[in-house]
Order: sequence, then C-alpha cells, then structure tokens
Amino acid sequence: MSRPADLVQGTLDMLLLKILALEPMHGFAVCQRLKQVSGDILQVSDGSLYPALHKLEQEGWITAEWKRSVNGRRAKYYALTRLGRRQLEKEADQWGRLSNAITRVVKLREA
Amino acid sequence: MRPEHWRYTIPLRLRSLFRRTDADQELDEELWDHVQRKTEQYVANGMAWREARRVALLEMGGVEQTKEKCRETRRLNWIQDFVQDLRYGFRMLRQSPGFTAVAVVTLALGIGANTAIFSIVDAVLLQTFAYPDSDQLVLIFDVPLHQPHALSGISYRDFSQCREQSRVFSEMAGNSFHDLTLTGAGEPSIVNTADVTPQIFPLLRAKPLVGRTLLPEDGKQGAAPVAVISENLWHGRFGSDPALIGQSITLDMRPFTVVGILPASFRYPDGAPRQDVWISIAQDPLFGPRLSQPGSRVLAGIGRLKPGISLTQAQAEMNTLGTRLAKEFPAEDSGMTIRIEPYRQFVVGDVQFPLLILLGAVGLVLLIACANIANLLLSRATSRGREIALRIALGAGRARIARQLLTESALLGLLGGAVGVLLAACGVWSLRPLLPSDVMRINSIHVGGSVLAFALLLSLAAALAFGLAPALLATLSDLPANIKEGGERTGQRSGQHVRGFLAIAEISLAMVLLVAGGLLIRSFALVTSVNSGFDPKNVTEAEISLPQFQYATPQQWTTFSDELLARLHAQPGLRDSALAAPLPMDRQGEATMAFSIVGDSPLPAGRSPTAHYATVSPDYFRMMRIPLLLGRFFSDQDSPSNPQVAIISETLARRYFPSQDPLGRQMRFGFPPNSNVSREIVGIVGDVRDVALSRKPVPMMYVPFAQAPLYGGEVVVRSSLSAASVAAGIRQAVRSIDKNLPVTDIESLDDALGQSISQERFRTFLVGSFSAIALALAAVGIFGVVAYSTSQRTHEIGIRIALGAGRQEILRLILGQGMKLALFGLGIGVVAAFLLTRLMSSLLYGVSAADPVTFASVTVILLTVALTACYIPARRAMRVDPMVALRHE
Repeated sequence: MSRPADLVQGTLDMLLLKILALEPMHGFAVCQRLKQVSGDILQVSDGSLYPALHKLEQEGWITAEWKRSVNGRRAKYYALTRLGRRQLEKEADQWGRLSNAITRVVKLREA
Repeated sequence: MRPEHWRYTIPLRLRSLFRRTDADQELDEELWDHVQRKTEQYVANGMAWREARRVALLEMGGVEQTKEKCRETRRLNWIQDFVQDLRYGFRMLRQSPGFTAVAVVTLALGIGANTAIFSIVDAVLLQTFAYPDSDQLVLIFDVPLHQPHALSGISYRDFSQCREQSRVFSEMAGNSFHDLTLTGAGEPSIVNTADVTPQIFPLLRAKPLVGRTLLPEDGKQGAAPVAVISENLWHGRFGSDPALIGQSITLDMRPFTVVGILPASFRYPDGAPRQDVWISIAQDPLFGPRLSQPGSRVLAGIGRLKPGISLTQAQAEMNTLGTRLAKEFPAEDSGMTIRIEPYRQFVVGDVQFPLLILLGAVGLVLLIACANIANLLLSRATSRGREIALRIALGAGRARIARQLLTESALLGLLGGAVGVLLAACGVWSLRPLLPSDVMRINSIHVGGSVLAFALLLSLAAALAFGLAPALLATLSDLPANIKEGGERTGQRSGQHVRGFLAIAEISLAMVLLVAGGLLIRSFALVTSVNSGFDPKNVTEAEISLPQFQYATPQQWTTFSDELLARLHAQPGLRDSALAAPLPMDRQGEATMAFSIVGDSPLPAGRSPTAHYATVSPDYFRMMRIPLLLGRFFSDQDSPSNPQVAIISETLARRYFPSQDPLGRQMRFGFPPNSNVSREIVGIVGDVRDVALSRKPVPMMYVPFAQAPLYGGEVVVRSSLSAASVAAGIRQAVRSIDKNLPVTDIESLDDALGQSISQERFRTFLVGSFSAIALALAAVGIFGVVAYSTSQRTHEIGIRIALGAGRQEILRLILGQGMKLALFGLGIGVVAAFLLTRLMSSLLYGVSAADPVTFASVTVILLTVALTACYIPARRAMRVDPMVALRHE
C-alpha cells in the first residue's frame, strides 16, 4: 500500500480538487471519499490534509463555508471554484502526460 | 497572480490578519471536528471510545502542529513573524549588554558623523534656494574682453541698454549695498541698505508682508523717495507698528516714505547675513549721482532667463550686445564685454567640492564602523551556532532564521542611528561657531526632516551591510557539527576568513583616511606658516564708514582721517597706527584696477594690465612691517597740491618693469572719473598676500590716502596693550571727533586672517578627527579579530606550550597573525590612498597628493597602532597555562 506521504505535493492538490469537483464536502468526507474511490490505495494523512486544503483555499481554487450538515452538525464545507476547475484541468493534463511517459518507459522491451 | 485570484484571496487574507482569533477558532473547530468524526468511525467499527480517540489524535499527528502548518499557509504570517523577531531581537540584545553597548556606540559614531556632515551638505547644497525657479537666475558682469575672470559690476547706462535690447531675459535688475544712518525713531543706527532697481522684486518673486515693494516709477530720477523695510527692522525698531506704512523715516538725513514690509526670510543675495532697508538706487546719496556717470560700474546685475532659453544662447546675445556697446560708447566700454554666470553655481561653486570630499571621508568612517560591528556579530553568531542549529533541527526554515538575524541587525542599526542622530545634533550645535563664516546659509544648518530621513536610511543600510554576512554564515553552517559539543570550532574556518578579510578592509580604509588627514594637516601647516608679507601680531583693525550726508567731499574725508590719526597717535600705546582701504585679505574683497605705464606703447583697450589697489596713510608700511625695497615711503609731503605719487609692490615691478628701474616712471590709474591721473612711482615695497594665504602675491599699487581719499576705510593699530584697551582707545578717538560716528567690526588682524583660511581650517579639523576615529576603530577591529582567534585557539596554544614551545614563540605566532592582516591592509590602503587622494589635490597647498613624507609617517603610525593592538592578546596568549587550556574545550 503506497503511503500518502510518498505522493508529490502537486498530485495531492490535484486529487483533492477532483474530489471536490464531484460535490462540495467537508475535510473528513474528502478523506473518506478518496480512500473509498481509490480502493484504499490512496490515503491522505490527516496532518497533511488540512494544510493542503487551506493552501488550496489561499490560492483561490476552492472556497469554504460553514454549513449545517444533514444531521444538524456544523462543518466547514469546501467547494471548487471556477478558477479551481481550470487549475484541475491543467494539472490533470500534466499528470496524463507524465504518466504516459512513465508507462512508455516501463513498457520497453528488455533485451 | 491574476486579478481574479485577488477577489477570492484578499478578503481571506485580510480576514486572517484582522480577525486572527476568529480564524484560529475556526481552524481549531475544524480540526477537532475531524478528530471527532474519526473517533466515531472507529467506535462504529468496534473500537473502544478511549482507544478510538487516541488513534484518531495520533493520526492527526498533533493538533497544534497541524494548526501551525495551516497557519503557515496563510502568507500574511510574515507580519506576526516580524513582531516575534523584534521581540526576540530585543531580548537577545538585552542579554548581552556589553556587546550591545559597544555596537551601538560604534554605530552611533559612524552614523552621527555622517548625519552631521549631511546636514551641512543638505543646507548648503541641496535645499532649494530661497527664490522660486532659481535655476533661471544668472548674475551679470562686465569683464574685459581678454580677462574674462576679472568680474566687475556694470554701469547704469549699460544696464538700461541691456534691458531695452535684450530678448533673453524676462526680467533684469541691479543692486548695490550701502550702510546708511537711520535717525528719528530712537538712537541713530546704521542700517544695511540694499540699493536696487525696482525690477528686482518681481524678478526674485518677492512678496511683501504688508504694503508693496518698489514700483518702476520709484526707480526714476527725481521720483519721491520711498523705502521698503525688512520685517526684522520693523519688529526691532518700530515695534511691528502697522501704521508705519505711509510714515516717513530718515536715512542719511533724507526723508523716505515707508511703503511696505518684506518678510524676514527674504534676502538678496541668498545667504546675506542682514538686510534692513531697500531703496531705489537712484535715491542713494552715494550711488544716485554715480548712475549718470557712464564709466561708474556700480551695479551688480541679475537677470531671469526666459523659460527655454539656454545659458549659451543668453551668453551669445550678451556677447553681441557687448560688442555693440563697445562700438557705441568707446570711451567707457571699449575692450569690455558682458558675461553671465548661473546664480546657483556662483553661490555654491566653491563649497561644493570640499563638502563632497568631506562626505566621502565620513562615509569611509561609517564603513569601518560597520566592518567592526560585522566582526562583532560574526563572533556572536558562531557562538550562537548551537542555538541556531537546534532551531533548524526543530523545523525553522533557514530563511526564517536569516530573517530573524537580520531583524536583530536592523534593531541594532536603528538604535545606533537614534543615538547617532543625537550625537549629530549636539555636534552640529557645538561646531556651528567653528564653521567658516563665509559658507552661505549657515543659519539653516540644522537636523531637520530630510536629514533624519537620511539617518534612517543610513542606519538600515548599515544594518544590512554588517548583518548580512553573519546571517548568511550562520544559516549556512554545518548542522550536525554545530549541535555536537565543541562543534563550534569546526565552524570557525569560514568565519575566520571573513573576519580577517574585514579587518584588512578596515585597515585599508583607515589608511586612506589617515593619508587624507595627514595631507590636509601638512597643507594647512604650510598655509599658516606662509609669509603673508606683513606682521599681523598684536594688530587691531576697526572699520570706519563716513556717512554721505555729513562727509560729502574728499576734503572732508581727508580732514577726518588726518584728525583721527593725530588723535590716535596722541594716545599712549596707540602710536603705531595707520589707515588703509582695503586691508590685505579684507573680507569685503579687493579693489582691482587697470593701469597703463606712461612711455610704454599703448595697449589696445581691454588688454590693459590690472593690479590690486589700496589707498593708505603714510605710516602704513612701517606699521605693518612691509619692507621697503627701493625708493621711499609716502610722507606728509604727498598732499593733493603736490604731484601724484604711487608705490608699487615687488611683483608689479618685476613683471611690468623687467630689468628697468621703475622709480621715476609714471603710471595711470584711478577710480573713475580719475582713471587717467598719472602718478610717479616713488617706491617699491615687499609683496603682500592680498587675496589669500594660499595664493601667490599679486601685483599691487598703493596711493597716499591724502591724494586719493575714500569715504571709509580700516584703521589698523599695533599695540602691546590689551585688545579691549585698544578698542576703547579707537572708539574714544573717533567719538572725540564726531560723537555720532559708529565704529564697527573691531577685531584683531590675526582673527581676520584666521577667517580667510577658515574653510581650510574647518576641513583639516574635520578630516583629521575622522582619521583619528578611523584609526581607533581599525585598531579595535584588528584587536577584536586577533583576540577572538586567540581565545578560540587557547586549546591549540595549550598543546603547543605543553609540547615545548617557548613563550616568545607563542608571542611571535600571535603577533605574526595580526601583523599579517595589518600589512595586507596597509598594502591595499597605500594603493587606494594613492589613487584616491589625487581627487583632493585641488584642496592642498604646497603638498602633492602623493607626498612621500605623509605616506611614510602614516604607515609608521598605523603599524605602531596595529602592533600595540595585537600585543595585548599576544601577551595573554603567552600567559596561557597549558593545564587549564587543555582541560577546557
């Protein structure tokens, strides 16, 4: 199981943005969703999640709002902004190119 | 970041800045909420609540640390960091009061000296002149065609012609000065009167406080006499009475109607010490009649160039006008032309360069001070190495640490700057009487707004200069080595190099300053030891000015002077007295006149030789101990009814009568309208330095006062009596002839001469002091480096001694290290001094900028001081007890 700490900081941002692109949710939910969607492979440590979320907020890619959830509990909900969507597309693009390149190298026939 | 970003992020950042506690609370809530949810999830999976909570907290990795990381993402953190740095810096400085005191004092000396000099530069050079658009102002002179440096005034006729015909000036005016006697409202007093053409007020954009200034009609001959008085006079003499406008005052026994008051700040020229009254020059009792004499060049001209007109354009037009005037009025103007000079240049020209040299010198002192402090900081930084390494290990970024160290330096800089400003203010206040009095605008030298801004900038720049190196060095230090005990020593290597380099730099800078100071001191010594041509010891001078209304004719002037000299001679102790106008190196300037030699082929006009002129009483030469070389002195025989005679100086004889006997020849010269009077040369006297001690003697011609009287002059008395008794005696003699006549400017001739070299003296004193400070600082610097390195090497020295090294050997080791630095510095300093002192060769008299005597003596002084500075730590090293040294780290 790859530890989330091995993730390059940039890919963490991209993953978080994508999760939030699905729907606005609070930090805990983001963490859960990522784990679930990736089949337990990608897990963000709590200590890195929140600083990353706050940084995304500083950059203007997500906004935050305190809302009451379904069961009446208060939580800080994050949502993707228009800028964030553009950033997500850009990063996904970069990631695609990078992973293709790596795949090509790995798939080379050995002599 | 693109603008759209800002819309989202600025409110966010502002919020976190201003409502820090709110943002903090939210962060807290958010993280604890996460922990809570996680706990619930684990509980739902079957864990005990306590265990679930523990795991959840562990997974969070420490709520506080996470919070800090979140906070760090908010980039406005830097302000909070800065405040923290400041507080930490203050604490650090307070913890080592010795270091702080030394650093602050060193810095205060450097910054204070710079601020003081800058305040002078600011007042004299930088502040905008009192008149708006003063760069359009030019002074207008008449000069002989082939001697463009012999500036003289212009005649009223030429002035009017210029005004009519010139197209480059938006306004032209002229002025002169006279002291008139104000009577009527209280005691009679002398008022300094500016005789002006009315256009000077709009030209200088002068606005009256009350009433009006002069109008063009007031300038015409025969107009009703009116006067404008200064605010100071209005206040002092008339009690600021608003009803004064329209009333009449009496100047030299003539009534003038007061029409306006000018503010106290208005003067012409810019730095004139005192101005009381302005009247139209046509109304002046002395100059008024001279206006119609076309050869009488009484006006000092000033003009304001039209916008867009360049100096060259204007000068070209003046040349054309000059030629036209010479052709139209050959009797007075042939051979002359008109020359203009920018007003600003004229006023500050002489002073600019020496002031800049001073600024450079004092800048060097500051550099040395900064190097010293950098050294101090370096030694502190390496001893704080462990503290810094720990902080890095605990997660502080290197940039953060460097920032904190720089903040500490900035604090030090500002503290030093504050004390420095205080020092500067005291310095300026106490130096003011020493300042050369002919420096313009001396009254506006004070530590004001722009000077404080300069001090602030300088403090910060200095802080950066001395703080950068230690900060960089500290953060680049090797981490593991520093945390270990004794690891500090290994971190010394690069530090030691830098410190050695700094010490070398200090010594070379000090060398440059010392050479400059030495050169100036030698030059000043030479100037003061120069033979002035006369003996000023125990001589008192006093100025007498005969008011026009009482003494209108030359006969009255002669009668007065004869009577005065007789009364002086009658007083015991004052027998050695004479009258002269002007005296050598007179503050009010010299009289220059063209002359021609009868019998020589006539020279074209404008090419006549000129010489300095003085009218003297017969005993003058004897009294001043000016030697007679040939012929005779003046005597009572030389009266107006006898043939006109003259005495010439040695230089004049040698230059214009080469290998001939001048005695018996005739010369033509004189004040208009007597410029063609021929006088027989009856004697040759020794040269006198007439212009300045540092200038070679000029050709001089003397006439007897009886044959060429003036309405005023200087009384000179040589006496062994006290200065007060002499002054009283002179006053008494004058009063016994005319009780209303004031005697002004009584001072010893030595003092007056001192004034003529006051600029040199001031410069020499300042640069000498700076070099002394620099030497002290450099000595401290080299002492610091050697002492520190020695203390760090205590261990090594202990080993050496234990292994059998003699004490002398240790001494030589340490001394050698120090002297190596000193010699390097000396070498660089000599080269630098050689290159740089060439810049100030114009300030030196009789000494070349590469004077070997100065260089040699300065080298000796510097080496001696360096040796002494190294000796103390060397002796301490000698006495190291190897047992003690080996035991400690």
